[in-house]
Formats: sequence, C-alpha cells, structure tokens
Amino acid sequence: MFVAEVSTGRIYPVDVSPVVAADYKILLKSRYAFDWKEEKNKEVYKLVLKGQTDILGLISIERIPDEWRIHIRLLSVSAENKGKNKHFENIVGNLIAFVAKIAVAEFGPLACISLKPKSSIAQHYIKKYKMRITGVTLSLEVPEIIDLINQYDHD
Amino acid sequence: MTMTNKQNIINTDPEFGVDSRYKSKKEREQDSIALMQARLERMKKIPKEQVIRAKLLQLKLQMEKYLKEPVYDKQNHFTKFLESYVDTIYVKRSEFAKDINITPVFLSQIINNHREPKEEFILKLMVHSEKVFKNVGEFPKTTWYQLYLHEKLSDTMASHAEWGPKIEKQVKLSALITN
Repeated sequence: MFVAEVSTGRIYPVDVSPVVAADYKILLKSRYAFDWKEEKNKEVYKLVLKGQTDILGLISIERIPDEWRIHIRLLSVSAENKGKNKHFENIVGNLIAFVAKIAVAEFGPLACISLKPKSSIAQHYIKKYKMRITGVTLSLEVPEIIDLINQYDHD
Repeated sequence: MTMTNKQNIINTDPEFGVDSRYKSKKEREQDSIALMQARLERMKKIPKEQVIRAKLLQLKLQMEKYLKEPVYDKQNHFTKFLESYVDTIYVKRSEFAKDINITPVFLSQIINNHREPKEEFILKLMVHSEKVFKNVGEFPKTTWYQLYLHEKLSDTMASHAEWGPKIEKQVKLSALITN
C-alpha cells in the first residue's frame, strides 16, 4: 500500500496496524477530528509511513458477522492531510481498502463494508470509492469491493 | 459567495472527521434491515464469475494471513488451501488434474495427505495460479511454495517432542566451542 506526496508526486509505502494504548495519548481532537479515546474498546487502526510513527489517518470499525458486514464507525485523515494543502493523497483509500480486505477474508462473496456519512459528503464516497447508496447508508460489496482492494493493495 | 462560505469550502474535507456511528439501537436496526434487503436483491444479480473472483481473493487473503502468523500445529494447511482452490474453480477435481497434466489419483493422494507434493506439482500449481489470478488480483508467484515450506516447518516444530529426544541422542559436539 502506498500514499503519494502531493507536492512532489513521490510515493511512499505505508503500514496499517492496530492502534495501541500509548497512541491514544497523542490522538488529539485538534489533529484527528475526534476524541479517539471514546473508541478505546473498539477495533481501531492507524496508517503510518513504513518505518515511521507519525499517524496520518485513523479508522475504527465494528464487525457484524451476522450480516457479513463491517461498519466503519469513525474515519479521519490528520489535519495536515485535509483540504487543498494536504501533504499526502490516498490515506483514506488505503484505510478503506484495509477494512475491505478484512471483510473479504472473513465473508468472501458476501463481504460488505458500510459507512453512514452526513448527506453533504456522501457523494464524495459514491464518486471516489464507487460506494452504493441504500437509504442513507453507503456500502461497498462485490464486485466493487474487489476492485477497490486491487486499486490500493500493492506490494 | 460570502467570505464565510468560501472559508467553509476550503476547510471542509470529506475525509477529515467522518462520524458514521449509529446514534441509537433503533436507527441501527432500521438501517440493517434496509441494507440487508437491498443487498440480497443485488446478490441475486451477481454473475457467477464475480462470485468465483471473490472466493479466490478470500483464499488468497487467508493464505497471506497464514503465512504472516505462524501456526505450529499438525493441521495440513497446504492441502486444505489446495482443496479449496481446486473446488472453487472446477466442478470436478479430475478436470484440474487434466489441466496440469497429472492423474486424478495423484491429485487425490495429495489432497488426502497420502502423498507429498513433488516440486514439479508445486511448479505447475504456481503457473496455474498465475493464469487464474490474472482476473482476480495480484498473486505472488512464491505463495504456494511458501505455504508448503511453512507447513513443513510448522510440522517439524509441532512434533518436536516426538523427534527431539531420538535426534538429540545422535548429535554430539566433538570439539568444545567457546567464545
């Protein structure tokens, strides 16, 4: 998995791994949009450049095996990676692809990931990640979920 | 456009601070029902090739997980993965045997752990997978070989209590090695 530096176009390999207890001390609301401590008992993952420790993005999820689904609870890039002046591109794509891989590994052809964003930003996820809309819930299923994994998951 | 509106557009990023948590149990249940109904309808229309594609990707991800997280047990993971691979693609295992130019008996013996897969078999599997995964996604050439070797190592470590005492009796140091 890779992110691209916007100013130079250079690509950097990244790692996505579980957030550990010590990380919560540095996950400030001003930089990561939420009080991530509220998610301490949930499954939370961080994205960092390979070999580095600075967290560029976060995602928290809930597995719903009865529905062959993983629901994305919270998602955010770090403050320096938002808007026109962002440092890196593809942080969220990689985080969603990481969760998509968990879903496909667990549920195969029935795999689904879901997201329920504010209606004002839903179009972004429909356009950029080919999510489907059902009522107010966005979801990614076969075959689009496979295409997303293939788009982002490279060694 | 007012300055405030302009500022809002600049500051708003759809990938910064997305709160997707359900606010109540009721909301969650209603959304689950609606989504499941829509998904079941969509699932009926998924072409067979896409189902096979998803099953193969699932298999690949499970293989990767097995290789990343060593499991020292006596289960035959290599043949379980092989069985799943063959049964996902073919209706009859004999068709796979024909495609890689081996006899159905030979294949059956490998899948049922009555025979060790030879190097040639693994090489054929490697080439076969390369062709199959072209339509699925990246599949490292080394995967089957790694699985086989990983399994060998796992078996050896899992049965250390059986072979350890006998082998240790046969090994001695004739020269004392000191720092």
